[in-house]
Amino acid sequence: MSEVVKNGEMIVLKAVKKIYNLGSEDVHALDGVDLDIQRNEYISIMGPSGSGKSTLMNVIGCLDTPSEGTYIFEGEPVHEMDDNQLASIRNRKIGFVFQTFNLLSKLTALRNVELPLIYANVPRDERIEQAKIALEKVGLGDRMKHKPNEMSGGQRQRVAIARSLVTNPSIILADEPTGNLDSKSGQEIMKIFDSLHDSGNTIILVTHERYIAEHANRTINLLDGKIRTDEKNNK
Amino acid sequence: MFQLFFENIRIAVSAIFSSKMRSFLTALGIIIGVLAVTLMGTLISGLDKSFEKSMSMLGKDVFHISKFEWFGNQDYWELRNRPDIKPEYAEKLVEQGKYVLAASPQSFRMSDMSRDEKNITGVSVIGTTTDYMQTSNTTIEEGRFITDGEHNSGSRVAVIGFDVAEELFEKSDPIGENVKIGPYKFRVIGVVEKQGKFLGLQSMDTQAIIPLGTFQRLFSRRGFFRLSVKVDKDNMEEAEYEVRSIMRRIRGIRPEEPDNFAINKQEAFETTYNSIKLAIGGTGIFITVLSLIVGGIGIMNIMFVSVKERTREIGIRKAIGATRGVILSQFLIEAVLICLMGGLTGLGLAFGLSFAIDKFLPSEMPVSLAILAVVISLAVGIMSGLVPSYRAAKLDPIEALSYD
Repeated sequence: MSEVVKNGEMIVLKAVKKIYNLGSEDVHALDGVDLDIQRNEYISIMGPSGSGKSTLMNVIGCLDTPSEGTYIFEGEPVHEMDDNQLASIRNRKIGFVFQTFNLLSKLTALRNVELPLIYANVPRDERIEQAKIALEKVGLGDRMKHKPNEMSGGQRQRVAIARSLVTNPSIILADEPTGNLDSKSGQEIMKIFDSLHDSGNTIILVTHERYIAEHANRTINLLDGKIRTDEKNNK
Repeated sequence: MFQLFFENIRIAVSAIFSSKMRSFLTALGIIIGVLAVTLMGTLISGLDKSFEKSMSMLGKDVFHISKFEWFGNQDYWELRNRPDIKPEYAEKLVEQGKYVLAASPQSFRMSDMSRDEKNITGVSVIGTTTDYMQTSNTTIEEGRFITDGEHNSGSRVAVIGFDVAEELFEKSDPIGENVKIGPYKFRVIGVVEKQGKFLGLQSMDTQAIIPLGTFQRLFSRRGFFRLSVKVDKDNMEEAEYEVRSIMRRIRGIRPEEPDNFAINKQEAFETTYNSIKLAIGGTGIFITVLSLIVGGIGIMNIMFVSVKERTREIGIRKAIGATRGVILSQFLIEAVLICLMGGLTGLGLAFGLSFAIDKFLPSEMPVSLAILAVVISLAVGIMSGLVPSYRAAKLDPIEALSYD
């Protein structure tokens, strides 16, 4: 768990634009976004489809770089990074949780959770140890040898969360994490995110469900590639 | 780095074994290619060995004079009507030629041999003189060879081949015993050491050597006849010139007339053999290259399919931190592993088949050939895997993640 050492700015986006060229016209998926995120924040990003929330998530998650503007992640200039540097920062500092789980179907839960550590070159014994701890944290200590198709949707998403946690990342990015789950499993998943936040993690949720967004402490509304509202939630 | 390498091998093995049939069919081209190259190599090395052994029977420093050229294309009847080679030429060649060390006339015929109830057919009976020991590569294993006296007196003595001794006498000692060549009784005075087959065709061990004088008295003065002339091996060219001029003088051939005899050398075999070897090798290389190209294209194709199928997996791996290099090596290792498995399978099959070939032709697979086969499969794997792997490596993680 990343501890709250200082409450400084972890993520700083300044005038970020993401422009896609679709034939004759340029599409401004992000059109000048300014955003600061502090350590141990719990943020939800909302907006209708096409509002740019996926693009914003990709940029924050270092899967994509801004066309214009600057993005500083823990002091590192992400907007200047090349492919390998981006891969490294994703590996070390970012944990992803996707709507469709995105687990590797041929691997067991344990192996799936180990994967980021393999790319971080962690020795085998240590890797297995950490993966086990992460799986226990999401309540799957007894499901380690199961493959994704032997588990329920809620369990799969918990494996995905364990995978996102295992490298001790600076932020966990969750893109519609309950989108493919029934409401009961969805509630369980949200409980896990809540407790992760309580133990010091920084979490960013992308969702279009208000009741999911309300779990967060701060909600950002996007429209047409711009931040329309950015407010604290009353809890 | 070792962690990643090991992980990539693990991924590759699981990918290959999760679709065994597809992997096998993919590797088939490589299997056939490697099988072709190793079998061809084994065959040629076997041929080389048996050729060398056969050539040593002929002797490098021995000329074989007869009516016929070994590998000529002259009209048969013209050669047929040349005057016969006569035994007394041998003496003249030894007397007059300063490079001639020995000369043995040889008459041949096929015959049956028997002893009591035992019988052996297809024995080549050679009538010759004492010099035969020098012009041929014959070693006496037991007993002795024929003498000049026996030649002159026409004694009925025989030196028999190894297989003949084995067939007619089994375990007992043949020396001093009587055998029959055709209807005639002979006394065995020696046994020739085992020699094997000449060029894998004609056995040198089912023979019986008798004095030329005896041969001519009992069988015939005509028929196939040749002179083997052993010369100074340091002056082969001069020796050939000398032998040719002595022969022309004996025959009384005028300067403008062509030879009416042939001087055959081991070289003639070598020239012919090399062109055969070249043909076999060329065909082999052609088949190999062709099947490796086809096999390589097959692997490239299947790797493209594999990359396409696993686009989402690539997206996931990239999202959680796999670099381009890691993805590239993952797919490259898979391609190389398929090729390597195919190559080793082909090698194993060829190794097995080489034992079958050994039954006809003494051959064993050279180690260098096995190494070559492995190197070739590695190279094909890398060449055919590179482009698909590169395509996988440069996939955009966002697009890959949203691929269905």
